Amino acid sequence: MHCPILIAVVIWSSCVDSQKIRGISLSYKRFYRERKSFLCIDGSKLIPFDQVNDDYCDCADGSDEPGTAACPDGRFYCTNLGYRPHYIPSSRVNDAICDCCDASDEYNSHTACQNTCRNLGQRERAEVKSQMRALDQGLRLKQQLIEEGVLTWRDKQAQLRDLQRVLDDLQTQLDDLRKEDARRKKEVDALRELEIGALETEENSHRSHIMNESPVSIFYELDSNRDGRLSAKEVRAKLTDIQDGERVLSEDEAVALLGGGHHVDLSRFEETLWNSIRIGHNVTIRGRVPGRLVKGEPVLKAAVSAAEKAAAELKKVEDAYETVYMEIRDLREKLATDYGPEREFLFLYNQCFQLKVHEYFYELCPFNQVTQTSASGAEVSLGKWGSWAGSPQHRYSQMKYENGEPCWQGPTRNTVVTLTCGTETALRSVKEPGKCQYVAEFQTPVACRPALRQQGVHSEL
Amino acid sequence: SYHVSAVLPRQQMYLQLTLVLSISLGIIQAVDRSNFKTCEQSAFCSRQRALRPGQSSYRALLDTLELSDSRLTLQLLNNNNKVRLLLELYRLQGNITRVKINELKPIKPRYEVPDVLITDPPTEPMSVVAQDERGVVLSLGGVDRRLYVNAQPFRLDIMEGPKLVLSINSRGLLAFEQLRMRKDTISHKITSTVGSMWDKIKNLGVALPSKAFIILFSPSPILPTLHLTPLTLQASEGEEQEMEVDQPGMWEETFKSHVDSKPNGPSSISLDFSLPGVEHVYGIPEHADSLRLKNTDGGDPYRLYNLDVFQYELFNPMALYGAVPVLLSHNTHRTTGLFWLNAAETWVDISSGQVGLCGRTDGSGEVPQTDVRWISESGIIDVFIMLGPRPADVFSQYASLTGTQAFPPLSSLAYHQSRWNYNDQEDVAAVDRGFDEHDIPYDFIWLDIEHTDGKRYFTWDKNNFPQPKDMLQGLMDKRRKMVTIVDPHIKVDSSYKIHSEIRSRGYYVKNKDGGDYEGWCWPGNAGYPDFTNPEMRTWWASMFAYDQYEGSMENLYTWNDMNEPSVFNGPEVTMLKDALHGPWEHRDVHNLYGLYVQMATAEGQIRRSGGLERPFVLSRSFFAGSQRYGAVWTGDNSAEWGHLKMSIPMCLSLGLVGISFCGADVGGFFKTPGTELLVRWYQAGAYQPFFRAHAHLDTPRREPWLFGPDNTALIREAVRQRYALLPYWYLQFYQAHRTGQPVMRPLWVEYPEDVTTFTIDDGYLIGRDLLVHPVTDEGSRGVTVYLPGNGEVWYDVHTFQRHDGALHLHIPVTMSTIPVFQRGGSIICRKNRIRRSSSCMENDPFTLYVALDPQGNAEGELYVDDGHTFKHETDRQFIHRRLRFTSNTLSSRSAPPPGNTIPFPTASWVEKVVILGAQEPKAVTLTSSGGGESSVEFEFDPVTLVLTLRKPDVNAGVDWTLQLQ
Repeated sequence: MHCPILIAVVIWSSCVDSQKIRGISLSYKRFYRERKSFLCIDGSKLIPFDQVNDDYCDCADGSDEPGTAACPDGRFYCTNLGYRPHYIPSSRVNDAICDCCDASDEYNSHTACQNTCRNLGQRERAEVKSQMRALDQGLRLKQQLIEEGVLTWRDKQAQLRDLQRVLDDLQTQLDDLRKEDARRKKEVDALRELEIGALETEENSHRSHIMNESPVSIFYELDSNRDGRLSAKEVRAKLTDIQDGERVLSEDEAVALLGGGHHVDLSRFEETLWNSIRIGHNVTIRGRVPGRLVKGEPVLKAAVSAAEKAAAELKKVEDAYETVYMEIRDLREKLATDYGPEREFLFLYNQCFQLKVHEYFYELCPFNQVTQTSASGAEVSLGKWGSWAGSPQHRYSQMKYENGEPCWQGPTRNTVVTLTCGTETALRSVKEPGKCQYVAEFQTPVACRPALRQQGVHSEL
Repeated sequence: SYHVSAVLPRQQMYLQLTLVLSISLGIIQAVDRSNFKTCEQSAFCSRQRALRPGQSSYRALLDTLELSDSRLTLQLLNNNNKVRLLLELYRLQGNITRVKINELKPIKPRYEVPDVLITDPPTEPMSVVAQDERGVVLSLGGVDRRLYVNAQPFRLDIMEGPKLVLSINSRGLLAFEQLRMRKDTISHKITSTVGSMWDKIKNLGVALPSKAFIILFSPSPILPTLHLTPLTLQASEGEEQEMEVDQPGMWEETFKSHVDSKPNGPSSISLDFSLPGVEHVYGIPEHADSLRLKNTDGGDPYRLYNLDVFQYELFNPMALYGAVPVLLSHNTHRTTGLFWLNAAETWVDISSGQVGLCGRTDGSGEVPQTDVRWISESGIIDVFIMLGPRPADVFSQYASLTGTQAFPPLSSLAYHQSRWNYNDQEDVAAVDRGFDEHDIPYDFIWLDIEHTDGKRYFTWDKNNFPQPKDMLQGLMDKRRKMVTIVDPHIKVDSSYKIHSEIRSRGYYVKNKDGGDYEGWCWPGNAGYPDFTNPEMRTWWASMFAYDQYEGSMENLYTWNDMNEPSVFNGPEVTMLKDALHGPWEHRDVHNLYGLYVQMATAEGQIRRSGGLERPFVLSRSFFAGSQRYGAVWTGDNSAEWGHLKMSIPMCLSLGLVGISFCGADVGGFFKTPGTELLVRWYQAGAYQPFFRAHAHLDTPRREPWLFGPDNTALIREAVRQRYALLPYWYLQFYQAHRTGQPVMRPLWVEYPEDVTTFTIDDGYLIGRDLLVHPVTDEGSRGVTVYLPGNGEVWYDVHTFQRHDGALHLHIPVTMSTIPVFQRGGSIICRKNRIRRSSSCMENDPFTLYVALDPQGNAEGELYVDDGHTFKHETDRQFIHRRLRFTSNTLSSRSAPPPGNTIPFPTASWVEKVVILGAQEPKAVTLTSSGGGESSVEFEFDPVTLVLTLRKPDVNAGVDWTLQLQ
């Protein structure tokens, strides 16, 4: 029964006290109970109570003069009813500048300060409200962007996998084409040698002439359909009995010449038919007069063109491989970039944002670069993507772009981009506070953090 | 870059300049010496220096002596070329002798420097004490002060009793290149004809009556027409007149690609002074050199020629931005000064050594002597010999000639925050906020050239400073101020009002052909207003009216930079010497240009307030007399420890020659200071008269809070110490304004008999009572401070520890230490409530620091006025108290005779008295006029002997007495 009364009395009496003691907050009132003496809050000194706020500094910690400017490093409490209470350095008490919105700091100066707390409070509340609205909207947008980011991320991963598959295919193709290319080249080399040999020796012997020719050239001479294989049919069409040039070889004879099969490739040809032709005991090439071998030139030409074709084919695939490889590398690099804990910044990937400031045109391409273009059209790099540079608590609140164009007699240009919460994504300002040191403000919903809801009232204003 | 195409930053301009001058590219680390002349490369200096000491070719023609009450004239004859000079001697009030030498009949007038002397100096009667054919002895007043004029060779000796104080032309280096006609002109032919006739006549012997000479030669412009007496004729006999042969560089001179046409031919002058018994000479700023001047034998002389020197070198006699041709000599019993009033390019040779029995002056035994020789390119010889004898006397004597330091607005003694450049209004507001957020006071924020519309002074960049009045009002709301730069080069642009007005009024400096001279500076092509023209100055002043300088308000002040003048494409980065200022060549007036710019600007600020408000104008260039117009700084220094150290002798040297309001860019202009250097520079700057941080455009930002909380706290503390001492600084400037005594003083000024002090320039005094020895070494753990004064004591102002005088004291230092000592016997008033700006502290109470001498006495002063108007002068509205502690009684009495001042109402009161070196009293009683008697509480610390009197609570303007029982 007694307790509530006691509490009420204490509250009442302390209210009286704190009204008397200028410049303290309610939480400090307990130090200033009106007694005979006052103990400096740091305990360093005991002084008569009438020396509190008597415009003379007695306590080393300034606690005896909360309401005057007497103590260095003292502080004065602005109650600011209707707005936010806060401390000001006591040196701002009675300095003819209105600091507290309730005008309480200028109680003894000639400056007439208006109580603006109500207005400020209203304005602040309106501002906080609109900020909160923006924050809410921003957070919603952020969620969307995060979701979009997830999709983008998946797309990109799929794209990466696809590209990897394409790359694997290209790799296989490349292996084959490289072999083919090598073979064609070798063939051309061989034909060239043969040609040179033919020009050098003037032997009339068919046998020796044939022997001077390469098996490859003969093979291609016989391979009329250019399928890389000799069939019995082709053998019968091109070869003839050495004794009777008019006689057509039988199917069986042809198969026998091909070593018992219906087809031979070049290597098999060299082991079978080639020997028969070279020795020249049984068969010879139709229409070939012994000792007057047809000149090898058209054969060489054909081989060269085939080799070129193969090389071109190879180049095409190589290029494709390179392109896809680079694409994969870029994509991997980009996917390795830190887009925030929820990849919320991923949507900025491949976007650029512009801002005109007087005669300059600025462009921020997040995770890529910042540039400045002057009215004359000269473009200057203000930095390439470096890293996140916010404080350890808010790493993602700042970006750093480094190693832009060097300054005369100075370092390279760099830009620090501060991200602020807003409903739109846009470059808001670019400044150069120090030579070649740029700072930009970039507004985006993804910079919105739920924590701002609490901070909104206290620190943003 | 910030303005890639619109702006050529300062260094880029220099780069282009150096390209033009075909200097190597790359990072220029220090001054490019090849841009500036050595004596050898300066034709007249090299001609003059070739003349060696010996018997003077001049003799005084005693029979031409004319003595009026206060002026003595006498002709000097050059035995070689028969040219006559006119010597004028004056005895001026206050123990000053003026020696003027001009051609007797120059073919055209020679330049005599106007506007530097505050009045025609008042004279005192001179009388001839003795005279014979060898010379004349004049009385200079005093009991036994005499001036001896020796006829042949011509020489002047100033004696005091048996002691020779100073000799003039004792080394025979008087050389006066008379104006002449060029030899390929018709007039020369006439002259040479006359010359040969002279020879013929001479050969006829002495029989001709002197009258015949007069008749015969009166038409000749170069021959004497009067007072040609048999005596002189006899003297001429047997002497061959030397035909003066033209030497290279007499009629034209080329330096690098710049041609100086020299239409008037050679015109240089030289004179030597010998100072027996003197080993220490000082002054002739501006040089980045030690306080004590060095011997120039074997090197270049000290040069006085106002130049914009890019990244100047330390310990070098090269010329810098300003010139004050005043040299002080000092020994244990006498201080004297020489004021060489000449505004042309000047070189000063200093030679000191021991003079034995066969010495240069008639000393006996082995005595030290310093010889000083002045060489100037044109004008006349006009020297003021200030005879001291004490340092304070020399300062008064010089002040009586050129005036005293302008009494600055109190706020200009506070802290200034500058940078090239604060980018825009928002930037200014953010910096202003930064100071409040970090609780560091400041009074002025500065805007360099980028604030203008394309380097058109008196205008604002439309994008970055669209609402200058809003910005200024914002500062005014915080009781703070701003300075904008207004340079004297004017962009040639017909749509720019300032330019078109100057052009149409014909106010520009002209080139030798009569067209407007144009040079290259920040705006590109620029004209240079002829500030030597008083009409021009009046017009310029009118441009500072609030309705002319758009966007200006009463809290906007001015900075004149580049006023040497700096001309990027000119010879030695300045104006061609044959450019014309009315009838005079730039050669004649060069060193005066900067003074005139500041004069006209300060006048403008006075006028805009209807003559009420004190101006504040900072100038880079200066001359003798510049002290009357505002502050100067040591120009474009560098962020190096050596430059921090050098700021002390540079400002001390300026103080010795009247310019007390001096400072150096805190932090260093070029390059980037490390944090330790920046902090130390703030600590040193806080104890120099002009306290401004400034930085080059290309350097990273360095506002005080950008280096972590510890360094912010150190800088805050240094700035706060400055603000606490503002009443003392203000008093010192009041005294400097009244008496001409320097604010920042070398130790020897107050301890003239203590030889140890003569070379000290790492410690100094502010006024008489504070000794400062800032830490200027990297990583310093301690400093050795010399505390002067045998039998005196000094108190550490931070610990109140007492130290004996006349000893070297080693004190350990930490990063927070600023070694400062208060002289025992002094009383210093501080305001310990440090607020946002000095204006906010206007009504705050004082704390008196009474530092007792060993006898238990102390004395001090307190000065209070409104801080910004001329009412202290016009209405005598101020409070000037004399504070005295003697016989355990501290009293405050009016310093000027009572009734002489209009009482200035002040709200300030005495909140605390701290007595150092005290004994514990039993009781303390306060008696105040009209307040009766009351008892005052006190605290006594028996360990430190500090007695603190609590809250005497007495108004600072009334008489009061505190009695310790």
